[in-house]
Amino acid sequence: MKLTKLLISLLVIAGLAVGLNGCGKSESGPIKIGVLLPLTGPQANFGEMEKNSFELAKEEINAKGGINGRPVEFVYEDDTGKPDVGRAGAEKLIVQDKVPMLAGGYSSSVTFAAAAVAQQHRIPFLVNTGSVDKITEPEAFDLTTNDGDKFYIYRLNPPVSEYASGLEGLLKEVVKPASAFIIHENSAFGTKGAKSFAKTCDKLGIKVLGNESYSSGTVDFKPLLMNARKTKPDMVYMISYVMDAALLMKQSRELGFTTPKLFVGAGAGFTMPAFKENAGEATEGVISATLWHQTLPIKGAKEYYDKYVKKYGGDGPDYHGAEAYSAAYVIADVLTRCNGEYTPETIKKALDETNMMTVFGPVKFTSYGKKIHQNKMDTYVVQWINGELKLIWPKNLANAKFMYPIDWKTVWGL
Amino acid sequence: MEKEKTKILEISKTEYIIFLGAAVLPFLFFNSFYIQGLLIFIMMWVMLGNSWNLLAGYTGQVSFGHAAYFGIGAYAAALPYFHYKISPWWGLLYGGLAAVILGYLLGILVFKLRGPYFALGTLATGEILRLVFGEEEWLTNGHNGILYTTTWVSKYPYYFIALALAILSILSVKMVMKSKAGFYFLSIREDEDAAAALGINTKKYKNISMAISTFWAGTAGAFYMIYMGFIDPEVVFALHNISIITILIGIIGGVGTIWGPAIGALVMVFVQELFRSAIFGLAPHWVSGLHALIFGLLVITVILYLPGGILGDWDLIANKFKFSKRMRSSS
Repeated sequence: MKLTKLLISLLVIAGLAVGLNGCGKSESGPIKIGVLLPLTGPQANFGEMEKNSFELAKEEINAKGGINGRPVEFVYEDDTGKPDVGRAGAEKLIVQDKVPMLAGGYSSSVTFAAAAVAQQHRIPFLVNTGSVDKITEPEAFDLTTNDGDKFYIYRLNPPVSEYASGLEGLLKEVVKPASAFIIHENSAFGTKGAKSFAKTCDKLGIKVLGNESYSSGTVDFKPLLMNARKTKPDMVYMISYVMDAALLMKQSRELGFTTPKLFVGAGAGFTMPAFKENAGEATEGVISATLWHQTLPIKGAKEYYDKYVKKYGGDGPDYHGAEAYSAAYVIADVLTRCNGEYTPETIKKALDETNMMTVFGPVKFTSYGKKIHQNKMDTYVVQWINGELKLIWPKNLANAKFMYPIDWKTVWGL
Repeated sequence: MEKEKTKILEISKTEYIIFLGAAVLPFLFFNSFYIQGLLIFIMMWVMLGNSWNLLAGYTGQVSFGHAAYFGIGAYAAALPYFHYKISPWWGLLYGGLAAVILGYLLGILVFKLRGPYFALGTLATGEILRLVFGEEEWLTNGHNGILYTTTWVSKYPYYFIALALAILSILSVKMVMKSKAGFYFLSIREDEDAAAALGINTKKYKNISMAISTFWAGTAGAFYMIYMGFIDPEVVFALHNISIITILIGIIGGVGTIWGPAIGALVMVFVQELFRSAIFGLAPHWVSGLHALIFGLLVITVILYLPGGILGDWDLIANKFKFSKRMRSSS
């Protein structure tokens, strides 16, 4: 008897709680969108810049009246740079915070793992940095390219296989290296990036002398660099997050590894202000692929850069910040086109129809090859000249003359 | 006394209540997916803690490489899925077995070592597997990891599977420790040479302890794969996130006690979440960076003041509490 009583009272409490939960949804409060970023851990530098940019955009959007009068709010979840934590975070945002859409996604591994959660829950996920190709390949989620209406992942940034496309011109026309040595971090981002760069080398007739991986967070790169030095490459191509990138250059300088014509980074760590802070003098002359530069002739690019510096100080954002800032504006645009009904389905439909201009460039989700819902973009080349990141390629957009050939002994002050 | 001896397994009233309480627990948090998720992790850590405790706490073979068995269990579930689309659920059957086989093979090497050398040997095996699974891309998909769309969105089925496995792991340790083998384990822990001199086949019994231990570590790994739907070598063969945490759970809860690992798992997950979430968002954000530090301090405190762990030194804690109470009332 007692047990039945207990059960009944438990059921009543349960019913009440469910009812109360339902009442919590209001039609006038902010529209909440979940954002997954690495806010602590080794990738926190990137996460912080992206969060700042999301917040900057949010303030501007809400100051202009928000989404049809309702403010937009970003709910952040820290993925700490680990795929399992990222999955749990995505799940929490979807189930607990009941967001109708996810954004963010920094490292490739975390983004891919979290994308599977979004896909399973049928929640649109606008990825703005995670770059491994398979994120927008339905094949990786047991779907086909014809399943656009069942595929919930969208991507603003180009995939890693296209990062170096802007670099090709510079290599072909100016440097003409005969050989390259590839160094990459060993998670999805680095491995896939290295593979596609090796293909580029084949195409350009550059001989790949070595392809070595390390795990992110390595402190001593000297054995790796000494192996590279032994092969006497014309260029060193590196795919690294920011601390690894800084250490690679610092230790190259310490070793007096001055024989290559070029040190080239594949974006990520090599364009970050934190790279300069940590690599010091060894920053000078380093070239990197990039997806954006504040001097590009895109409306709002320079304004965004200046606003960011004004608000947060420091050295200003690189392409990661621009990606996040633009993602926030794409979200605002998408929500405005939802006609006041903010469900995953209406948002997905609005994402499909997106065709707008952002500070990062035009955004439109298209399909090509194995990919769908992928935004196509040009990539560029930057170089650290006198401690500043300058856009050097393509020539018609460049804001500085590239430094080449480089006498490392002088630029590094050896 | 004579009567009791014939019973292989005895479950006390308190234990029944704890099991029942654990079964009701997720319903109390029915509207918090987040807490339900934590409960599932606690159960997984109970499995791992028990696994380590049998080998280290009861048999005296302190392993620093339980991630090796956890990881091999996870990959045993994941690889057939990755290559042949065989459901990872079968991993619950063969994840444990794969770990037992690995444990036996590694045992041939590491059981030749004693004390700290054994610990270092096991540590190395975990690290070697992490590196090998990261590099051999043709087999394991390397650092890209293996992704699987999980079967259910709801947490309840996972919780009850984890709970059942955790209870079974506790009962299996309890049963073994009541049997003859259990006494042999203890004698090996106290003095391996003396045990051998008394005619105990120490090699055989160390292997038996290893087999049961690795079975639960492998099963926990397979469960992790099924539940999380994503593994990569850095996650499942992690030295500090798996091997070390497993040891800390044993130490905090109480080495060589039946319920120690369960208590250790509870404390560990709670402390970790408390700090990771910056005391549920009440404290400033930087607090979330402190969780490793706080956990380290907790371990130092336990080792210094409660060398037997929370359960092993329960009398000490209870006495202290009584003592300080008396002090307060008298002053």
